[in-house]
Parts: sequence; C-alpha cells; structure tokens
Amino acid sequence: MDKLIFPFVSIVGQDDMKKALLLNMVDPSIGGALIKGEKGTAKSTTVRSLSQILPYRTVVDGCVFNCDPSKPENMCPYCSERLSKGEELKSRQVQMRVVELPLSATEDRVAGTLDIEHVLKTGEKKFEPGVLAQANGNLLYVDEVNLLDDHIVDLLLDSAAMGVNYIEREGVSFSHPSRFILVGTMNPEEGELRPQLLDRFGLSVDVKGDKDTELRMEVVKRRIAFDTDPAGYTKKCQAETDAMRQKITDARENLPKVEAGDGIIKAIVTITTNFEIDGHRADITMLKAAKANAALDGRIEVTKDDIRAVASLVLSHRMRRRPFEEAAFDTEELEKCLQSI
Amino acid sequence: MSSVDLRYFPFSAVYGVDDAKRALQCLLVSPSLRTVLIRGGQGSGKTLIARSITKISGKKVINIPVNVSEEQLFGGMDLDETIKQGKPVVQPGLLSKADGQLVYVDDVNLMDQKILMTLLNSVIDGRVVLEREGVSAEYTTDVKLIATMNPKDTDISPHVLDRFDLCAYITPPENDEEKAEVLRRNMDFQKDPYAFSIHYMEDDEEVRSNIERAKTLLPLVTVTDDLIEVSVELAVKVMADGMRGDITLINTAVSMAALNGRDEVMKKDIEEAAMLCLAHRRNYAQEPPPEQPPENQNDTEDQPDEPPPQDDRNDDERSDEEPPEDQDDTDDQQEPPDNDFQQLLDEMVFEIGEQFRVVDYLSDRHRRISKTSAKKGRRMMVESSDATGRYARPRIPSEKTSDIAFDATVRAAAPYQRSREHSGLAINIQKQDVREKVREMRAGCTILFLVDASGSLGVRKRMTAVKGAVLSMLKDSYVKRDRIGMMAFRRDSAELVLPPTRSVEYSYRKLEEMPTGGKTPLAEALVTVNEYMTAYSRSHEGEMCYIVLITDGRANVPLKEGANANEEVISLAERMAIPQVKWIVIDASAGFIRFDNANRLAEALEGTYFRLEDLNADRLAESVRAAINR
Repeated sequence: MDKLIFPFVSIVGQDDMKKALLLNMVDPSIGGALIKGEKGTAKSTTVRSLSQILPYRTVVDGCVFNCDPSKPENMCPYCSERLSKGEELKSRQVQMRVVELPLSATEDRVAGTLDIEHVLKTGEKKFEPGVLAQANGNLLYVDEVNLLDDHIVDLLLDSAAMGVNYIEREGVSFSHPSRFILVGTMNPEEGELRPQLLDRFGLSVDVKGDKDTELRMEVVKRRIAFDTDPAGYTKKCQAETDAMRQKITDARENLPKVEAGDGIIKAIVTITTNFEIDGHRADITMLKAAKANAALDGRIEVTKDDIRAVASLVLSHRMRRRPFEEAAFDTEELEKCLQSI
Repeated sequence: MSSVDLRYFPFSAVYGVDDAKRALQCLLVSPSLRTVLIRGGQGSGKTLIARSITKISGKKVINIPVNVSEEQLFGGMDLDETIKQGKPVVQPGLLSKADGQLVYVDDVNLMDQKILMTLLNSVIDGRVVLEREGVSAEYTTDVKLIATMNPKDTDISPHVLDRFDLCAYITPPENDEEKAEVLRRNMDFQKDPYAFSIHYMEDDEEVRSNIERAKTLLPLVTVTDDLIEVSVELAVKVMADGMRGDITLINTAVSMAALNGRDEVMKKDIEEAAMLCLAHRRNYAQEPPPEQPPENQNDTEDQPDEPPPQDDRNDDERSDEEPPEDQDDTDDQQEPPDNDFQQLLDEMVFEIGEQFRVVDYLSDRHRRISKTSAKKGRRMMVESSDATGRYARPRIPSEKTSDIAFDATVRAAAPYQRSREHSGLAINIQKQDVREKVREMRAGCTILFLVDASGSLGVRKRMTAVKGAVLSMLKDSYVKRDRIGMMAFRRDSAELVLPPTRSVEYSYRKLEEMPTGGKTPLAEALVTVNEYMTAYSRSHEGEMCYIVLITDGRANVPLKEGANANEEVISLAERMAIPQVKWIVIDASAGFIRFDNANRLAEALEGTYFRLEDLNADRLAESVRAAINR
C-alpha cells in the first residue's frame, strides 16, 4: 500500500504556494511553478499532496503516453498510426498524477530509449518510455531542482518548451507528446538556478516559515494527529479534499469562458513595463494566471483583484536584480500601477 | 535474547554519552522519528554507541560506506538476470536489503551531498524511486538511519542537517575520573569480551524491554496545548527555520515520556527533547548579533567564549539563577505562568547555545597542528587526476566517442541479449548501446577569503571591500559555478562567516553582520583554515581551491604562550600543505611604514603576493581573478 500523504486541504498557511499550484492545475499552460524557500516549510509535502486533488482527464485507452483524444495533432506515433488506419480510439478517464523525477535519474530513463536494432530488422519503432512519457498530461515534480545535472535540465527544458520529447539515435528518430506541469522546489542556500531554467517557470513563490506561535502550534498538532492515525485523518479530510478537486474541475471547465477586458490588458502591460521586465512571457503568463484565478473564484470576468493576487507570483523571479539588493516584490509599486489605470 | 554477540560493545556499557543514548532510544520507540546524527570528536565513542544499538533493538545495523555509489545504495540493473531474461531486471540496493533494519553511515559529512540528500529523503519517505540506466522502479523500505560525524571536518549544510530528526552531541569527559572510567571499561572488554558482555547483558535487556514497553505506551501519550506552545516558542526563539524542529520536538518528547513509563508529556521531556531537536537547527544567520564589547578593548585572555560551568541539566538548575519569588512554582504539572514560561525559554535557549559553543570550541591544539604535515605530496596527485577528470556518470554520446563507459554500455545492451545474434560473442553490443563517460573536470573552483578582522587601521573599509568583492565575484562567477566563502579572524579565533557557497542571496544574508576588533590571531587562523580546507578538499575531490589571505601579516596572538607570534606563523605556513589549495596573500598594511611580514608569509605559503594601496571591492575582485587566471 502506498504511504498516505498529509492532506493538501489540511496544510496550514502557505497560501501563495498553494495558489501557484492551483492556478497551474486550472491552466497547465501557465508554465509550472518554482517553489523556493527555507527547509521544513512543507514544500515537498504540498506538492506531493496535490495527487489527492488533481482533476481527472480523458486519455486514449491503452496508450502508454496518455495521449489526449481531443488533440489528434499532438498524438504519439502509435495513436497517430491507429487514427490514420481509421481505428476509433477508445478513451477513458484517469486522474492526473504527480510524477517525480529523482535527482539521480539518468538521461536514458528521462528521455526513454529507442531500440534501433528492432527498427532496422522489422521497420517497427520500439520505444522504451521514460519519465518524460509518464509525465505527459501530468505534473512533473523535481525536488531540489537546483541540484539536478545540467544535461538532465536541458532535456526538461526542451520538452517543456515544445511539449514534445524528441529522441534521435543513429538517424532514427522518435517523438511523443510530453506536456506537463513542471513543479520544482529548491532551497536557494544550496545554489541558484540557471537563468534559462528560471525563466521557464511560469510562476515562482518564495516560501517563508511562519513565526506565529498560533499557526505553528496548529501545524504541529495537525502533523501529530496525522502521524498517529494517517488513515483516519485522511478520511476526516476527505469531504474537503473532494470539494477542492471539484472546485478545480469546475474552474477548468469555466476557464474558456473567462474574459479579460481591455483595461486589464492595459494594466498588465503597464505593470510589466514599470517593473522593467523584458520579453512578453511575463505579460502572457500574468494574463493566463489572472484568468485562472478568476475561474477558481467562479467568475468569468478578470478584475484588478485577480492581478493583485497573481502579480508577485509572475514577476518576482523575472525582475532584474542588482548585486547587494535583496529581491523583494514591491506591492506599493504594483498598487500605484493599478490605480493609474 | 539471542546468544552473546561479541562483535559489538554492550549499549549500556558505553559511558558518558547520555544524549546519544537518549536519541537512539527515541529513534527506536517512535515511528515518526527516522534519522539520528551523532556529532563528536575523534575517539569520542560515537561509532561505538551507534553500532551497539543492535544490542537493544534486535535489529541489524547495516553499514553504508561513505563512498557508496548510487547503484549500490538505491539499486541498479542486475546484469546476469537482465541478459538471461531479456528485459531489465532490478538489482536491489543496500536500502532495499536493509528493509526493517537500521542503516549506519560513518563520517556522513564526507558523503557526496546529492547521494546523502537522496538517502535521507528515501529514509524519511520510506520509499526509493529509481530512474537510472534502463531501470525504472519504485519500492518501499522501512529503515532508520544513524549517522555520525566529526564536527571538526567540513560540516554538512543546514539544509541537509535539518533532515536529521535528532542530533546528539558527544562532549568530551569533564574530568579525569570520567576518562578513567571509559578506559577501564575498554580494558575490561578487551581482556574478556565474553564476561564483559555477560555482565552488561541484563542492563541491555532491560533497556530493550523498556523500549518495547514504550512502543506500546506511545499511542496513549498525551501532550497538553501549553507544552506544545512552549515547544513552538522555543523553536521560534532559537530561529529554527521551518517546521521540522517543532514537529520532531513533540514527537521526541512523547517518546521520552513513553520511555519513562508515563502517558503524559512533562516539561522535563520537552527540555530533554529540545537539546536533541533544536540545537542543530539553530540559525545563527538570523540571530541578532551578540553584544560586542567596545572595539578598543584589546583583551584576549578572558573572552566569554569559555562556557560557564555546565550544570547537570536534569537537575532543577533554575534555583541557581532565578530570583527567589519564582521558587514556589517549580512543579512540572502546573500550568506555567507567563513569567516562569519566559524563564524556562531563556534557560533552554541558553543551554542549547551553550552546548553548541562547547562543541564548536572543542580545542585540542596538539592534534590540530600535527595534522598539517601528514598530507604532503598529495597536491600533485590531485592535480594530475584533475587534468583527466573523474568518471562521474555515463551518457548517451551525441557524436562519435572514444571515451567509452564500458559498464554503462554493457548495461544498456543487456536487455537485448536474448534477441540478438551472438555469433560467438558473449555479449553482442550494438552502436546504440554505447555510452560515453562524462568526466567531471570541474570548471568551478572554491575561493575562500581569509580576512584579518582585528582592530587594526582601516578594518571597516577592509571588511566592506571584501564583502563587496565576495558578492560581485559570486555574481559574475555564477555561470562558472564557483563557490566563494569567507573566514574572518580576530581576538583569539577564526570564524567561518560564510561557508563556500554559490548563492548570492545567502551570502548577502550571512555577510550582513561582521564583527571587527581585537587582536590578530594569525596562527590560529592558519590552523583553523588548514583544518577546514583539508576536510573540504577531501569532500570536493578534483576541485581547485584558493585561499585569499588578506592581512598585514603582523600577528600578535601566539598559539603557545610566550612564543613569538610572527615566527610561529611563518613556521606554520611553511608546513602548510592542503591538497588542491593555492594561496593568494593580499597585503593590507596601510600607510608609509612598510612591513614585509605579509610578503614573507606569502613566500612561506608558496602563494601569490599582492599589495593593494587602496583596498576596494572592485580592485580586490580584479586582483583575485588575475591571480587565479580566470
């Protein structure tokens, strides 16, 4: 039996971290989340506990890559072939998973391996799927992402950017869809992340430990209660967990209906200009995150409050930093921008 | 009870390591506690006590060597079976074989950080995830980890340290009588291990059955909200980052209560547990700096570094320091009034601090110096191996390669052996199986600034310059993955202000407060840096290290009383031979009177010598870069 994970809904505080993760579940195209912070702030616990509230999705039955039947253009070679033969692809519902990438993972297990001999002899491609295949349509979690070997990071980046994993060996190539929500956790004391990887993360959160006695007592009590009787505790939280999953599922359905007015677009652009952020990725991400936030709230119109809620998540890791400066997100500056619209 | 096992020293016979014993018993009692670290100097009995746990647990203690490979530890491909069956077969690693037992790592601080982190996480989660070289597996394993280390070697990072639920310090015996007792017991064991083991068997058996009783009692133990509050306040007070400290503190206190046969946690339990759970989680970086005596106070004799005499903390020591009006409410069961509560906190914080200090300042100078000479000649060896680089891991080659990783290649070919034609070959290897070696020729290096922070002229400016240089070098060396650290010396000791790091943010925090003033203990600084860097270079094999010594070279605190401080420094410097380390000496003597002390020191260290008239951050960074030619 799998070891039970502390219930997501029972985690005390850490609202920013939870928000960043929830927004990504509502709209995976936001581009994942990087969680930076001190040790012992429930980073890993929170990410792992997402498996309880991740929504269900539709996949092609029997496909190892979990292809999405509604997107024939993004299918693996096997499904594409079946489609072209006129076969009907049966679909089934599965819950999204948290796929973990261990630090010690080797390249061939991440990308998968291609049996070339088999290809040459039979003309059939035989592919042994790796972590990137498992991750398709799921959440890929890298703990201590800053300690990951550079060449593994490169593999992740390529897939994250294109949504496809290409394997090229001896002139034989193979590709399969690999779209995932990339979630990384790290402790900045252990070294920082390469800038290229940093920018790939849609949202980032700085997690801090709470110094408030009441909150800390609550954390300790809940943890002890859970450790004493994991099954009972989980059961007690079940209703809340189910409600949370339903909320996410509803938000996903609502997302296409969410509208952002011209005022909102202007506000976003003003903010990114004011914070001197290069490129358009921040603008796009902020809009997506704001929409997802509105959807989570059950609204179909983005408001300034949505921007307030997501701005620091989108901007804090993209701001230019000078030496001797602590990177702090300036909420007053943000408020000024919002007021000026 | 099984027959007498003479391989291990009896648990009860290990003398004077009460904290470690308590920690190990708690570990055995509580399923929530999974990892214990025992810190102590060499020959303090840490290995002895760790191994003797087999006597009271009935479990095997499986040794994990420090240089264990990821495959050995977590599992990898079983070559024979894979070839036979024609599909990847997992060979279980040490962790899976140890399921249900205890694992033990000696000198854990010398273990590869990444492996250590994965090990700790696997033990805590009870689960190992394998994704390597054709093998993909996930298995559960129920093990507990005991690790030991000598705090005088490189320390493990706070991040890793935090994953040790409990940490026990072994302090050296306080008097000769205790020392003699340790010796007596060892002699007795050597003389007749059989009789010795029999003698202590009953005690061990008692400990063991007590642990069993405690396990049964554990679920019934309650803890009041007030005591939870005390614990949390305490964790906040010592600035423990994160929540692990708070949670393990309660878990440990609960185990202590159970071990004492109680179904209710008492204040005493929290106190004892705090020593084991919070001392190693204490965050000095965030603490307000201790009050500094005025700068011109050049006293070196009686610094408050010497800990005040330590009371036995099981006694009610409050009576010594407390105003008499609080005497009436010492009962543990009573709800502590605020005043008392505050008092309790203060004392406990103080105690933890004290214990830390005791450990940090463990000083036996004779051993320190003798270490210096032992390593001569190793320097060349490391350099030559650096030129070729160390085989770190295999990789799928992107183009033709001549540097084939044979092991990985065979593993890659193994699953297909059944389907391939062999034509007389034992193993048929195809092009796509070939893996090349990734060799680690570290582009990065470590630069440790060793800065004179004594009260000489221009010390403030010097410190600001060094701080600026550290941060700016970290910023631009970021891509090259250099680590930069800083050690400052003043009064009568050298302190590692910033352990070598790549993080700008972290350094910024650490360098915020840098006390200055006092005399110049240059010799002490050399001894400390020698010790630190020797251990450091051992755990960072192949990495070039530079020590940038910034001083005017005028020492005035000799190691041996009455010795000539400057001569002592030179002779120390001449004997200095830290592997993989090069020295850069920057002369900071300002003004027109020139001294050649720093120059002489540079010669003795066979290092590069610079003199900077105007010491500022940019020039300093520039000079260092020039010296290491990067």
